[in-house]
Amino acid sequence: MLTRAVSPHASVLYRLPRHAVSRLRYSTAVDAVEPPPAGGHLPSIANSAILRTSRDSALRTPGLKFADDEPGNSLTGRETRRMNVYQAVRDAMSIALAKDDTAVVFGEDVSFGGVFRCTMVCLFTVLVVAYPAFLAVGTSAPGGPSHVTRSADLVPCFQGLAEEFGRERVFNTPLSEQGIAGFGIGLAAMGHTAIAEIQFADYIYPAFDQLVNEAAKYRYRSGGQFNAGGLTVRTPTMSVGHGGLYHSQSPEGYFMGAAGLKVVIPRSPIQAKGLLLASIRDPNPVIFMEPKILYRSSVEHVPTSDYTLPLSQLEPVLPQSNPDITVLSWGTPVYTCETAAHMLAQPPKGLEEIVPSAVRGAKVEVLDLRTVLPWDIEGVLERVGKSGRLVVVHEAGMTGGVGSEIAATVQKELFLRLKAPVRRVGSWDTPSGLNYEKFILPDAVRVLDALIETLTY
Amino acid sequence: MFRPLYTRSLPRTLGLSRRRFISTTTPEIPAERHGHLPSSHSLITPTLSFFNSVTGGGTQIPTYRVLDGAGNVIEGAEMPELDRDFARRIYENMVCLPTIDNLLYNLQRQGKISFYMTAYGEEATIIGTAAALAPDDEVLGQYRELGVLLFRNWGLKAIMNQCFGNHMDKASKGKQMPVHWGSPEHHFHTISSPLATQIPQAAGVAYALQRDPERRGHNCAAVYFGDGAASEGDFHAGMLFASTLPSPTLFIARNNGFAISTPASEQYYGDGIAARGPGYGMDTIRVDGNDVLAVLAATREARRRCIESGRGVLLEAMTYRVGHHSTSDDSFAYRPRQEVEDRKRIDNPIARFRLFLHARGWWSDEEELALKERFKEEVMTEFRAAERAQRHELGELFNDVYAGELPYNLKEQRKELGRLVRKYGDAWEPWREELKKFKDGGKSVMDIEDK
Repeated sequence: MLTRAVSPHASVLYRLPRHAVSRLRYSTAVDAVEPPPAGGHLPSIANSAILRTSRDSALRTPGLKFADDEPGNSLTGRETRRMNVYQAVRDAMSIALAKDDTAVVFGEDVSFGGVFRCTMVCLFTVLVVAYPAFLAVGTSAPGGPSHVTRSADLVPCFQGLAEEFGRERVFNTPLSEQGIAGFGIGLAAMGHTAIAEIQFADYIYPAFDQLVNEAAKYRYRSGGQFNAGGLTVRTPTMSVGHGGLYHSQSPEGYFMGAAGLKVVIPRSPIQAKGLLLASIRDPNPVIFMEPKILYRSSVEHVPTSDYTLPLSQLEPVLPQSNPDITVLSWGTPVYTCETAAHMLAQPPKGLEEIVPSAVRGAKVEVLDLRTVLPWDIEGVLERVGKSGRLVVVHEAGMTGGVGSEIAATVQKELFLRLKAPVRRVGSWDTPSGLNYEKFILPDAVRVLDALIETLTY
Repeated sequence: MFRPLYTRSLPRTLGLSRRRFISTTTPEIPAERHGHLPSSHSLITPTLSFFNSVTGGGTQIPTYRVLDGAGNVIEGAEMPELDRDFARRIYENMVCLPTIDNLLYNLQRQGKISFYMTAYGEEATIIGTAAALAPDDEVLGQYRELGVLLFRNWGLKAIMNQCFGNHMDKASKGKQMPVHWGSPEHHFHTISSPLATQIPQAAGVAYALQRDPERRGHNCAAVYFGDGAASEGDFHAGMLFASTLPSPTLFIARNNGFAISTPASEQYYGDGIAARGPGYGMDTIRVDGNDVLAVLAATREARRRCIESGRGVLLEAMTYRVGHHSTSDDSFAYRPRQEVEDRKRIDNPIARFRLFLHARGWWSDEEELALKERFKEEVMTEFRAAERAQRHELGELFNDVYAGELPYNLKEQRKELGRLVRKYGDAWEPWREELKKFKDGGKSVMDIEDK
């Protein structure tokens, strides 16, 4: 392992296609290590309190369930490893492939490791052996953003899942999304585990017919005789800062009416691994949307064993016992909501005048919905029933977005308990225009504004 | 030595090379050699020359035939291996298929079932291909392939139950329209209405077969589709996947000349579906779909190649849709009645095979009469039993959307339907009448709160 990793080819293996390099460039956004602003400490993805950056907190992730075939279910002796989202995703796939002989991974360009490197295996050994100092830094300075990106960037060598499991199990397909989805359904209909990748969620529409008319209805229409439950479609989603119209979309709302499908969106490495393994093993077809900006920017200690997290169950990421307001989101904007909650309590310089002092002490509860279909209606009603105020935040456009479904359900079920109208913060009903992204996407100040408006209604 | 990026070993050792099928349409290999392109075996030529599958002058892909119209083996043709019993089994199924079609077509006309599609004129194509497949080859159909299930002894009972969607219907539990059959035990994947979606799925099924050590080298996935469905993007995707990935998929195109009212001439400009096979690097054959022996022989060979090479093979069966597209269609609105009558008389697949059997002494007029009588009786018995049977429980409508427990919204909606049925079930006439058809009279949703 060691010899392989320090070989002169390591740098070649590390080389990425132009496509992915643009993501690398973006990741420098979290490289900037600035001292906390004088007016308050604003969390960002790099130092978010939501992220579990120690072994202990990682193992205490709510709902985490180690696989039954793992020895013992106690936390002692469990290992964790620092991973970002793409590393957690391929860790999950590696476990799925190792434990299930019928599992195959396929899509466009997955064989060399994927344009986001989700189908590569990363060898950490060298980093640890050659630079033991990093190991020490990595375990002893939780919350310190400096080591987070450095360690991720310095990983010296990669091995493709294809090399580990063979080309029969990890392979490229022709460039045809309807083909990928149809092919996956066929595999699943034979009882095999099909892990398909659509390169960007923006390109899932050619497969819409196969997913909505076929995968979703396969079990129902055959009276339960056949099913496509073994199918999981992974796809990178949400904005990345410069993705323009076709590398930024959040199409989860389009699948909202596709009864029979599940739609899952993780927010972090621990979540990505646990929810992906749960999705792969769920007896229903699942579309697993990975927020691509988090691939490299969010880092957590992730349990190395096989574990799952429950589907159709929200998680309070910033819980409050007596909340004044509930903020519900999924994927990337969960961090935006965290930032906005801090901005409300301690407005940064320039906003002090704008944020009324009366709302600064409000207890803001942030929920991560995690599964968009079927969503955790009971969980949302229970939480909003306590706070009486709800703000839903998503990156997709407002009209026909998932927020409309949630808002309608909440107003029907909690009409008398609501203290303010349910407010939705989403993108405008425009395509994601390249130069306008900062004004199209819901950023922290827009969530902050929604919090203020709802609290002062 | 230079090795191009995308080389594959295609089976070239077989008697019929791929080239034979496209020999009239491929350009001559140039005499001069100027080397190769970096990612292709293509020779460089100074000749400015185009090629096309439609060249005019009768140089289209030929159609393979064994029997002439009088049931005689044509000169140069070889009889496929066939004994008396197997020949009779094929023939009996060819006769039974239109008998079922007649009855169910008429039942639809009387309003007893909601919809039906016959396979008139395509009996040889469907039964012939079914006879060439192994009983456990996975079949993915379009909707005009009841004959495959018939040949695999799915049984009249199951056919009738599906059309009536009664409580004995296992195929879709009354959830899909008639003719949307399916049975895992018979390796027949449930039919769905969206055209061509089954084609890339078949490649996935075949890939699963190839990965299964028990079935690799023994089975293929056979996918049926019409000439119209072949215009869908999914046809392209399926052909591409099955030719690129190791998936033994047997593509069976039923070219019957029409997609509802659209004649084949408005469906494509090339030489049918077969001309597309070579474009995907796929072994391809065109066969006379009204000659059951040609279909049998061609399918057997196609299947053999498919399994041996572990890749897709394309078979185009040329036939004629004698019946209307469906019970919702009157085909005389777009084609002359006389044309249909002529085709039925001149080129009848059942009559052609009967003449062959008679000549061998394998079938007689008495047996023909007896079979038809016996079968008609069985059909009527099963029809009556299916017609009398009630539907599944009303609550079944919520089942199988998801595996496992009903999600919250479906539980709530089931409760809501129960409330509505309790409130309006007797008072609202359209519901009152409908509820009687269900086994439980609707109780399964009404009792939900007590459960």
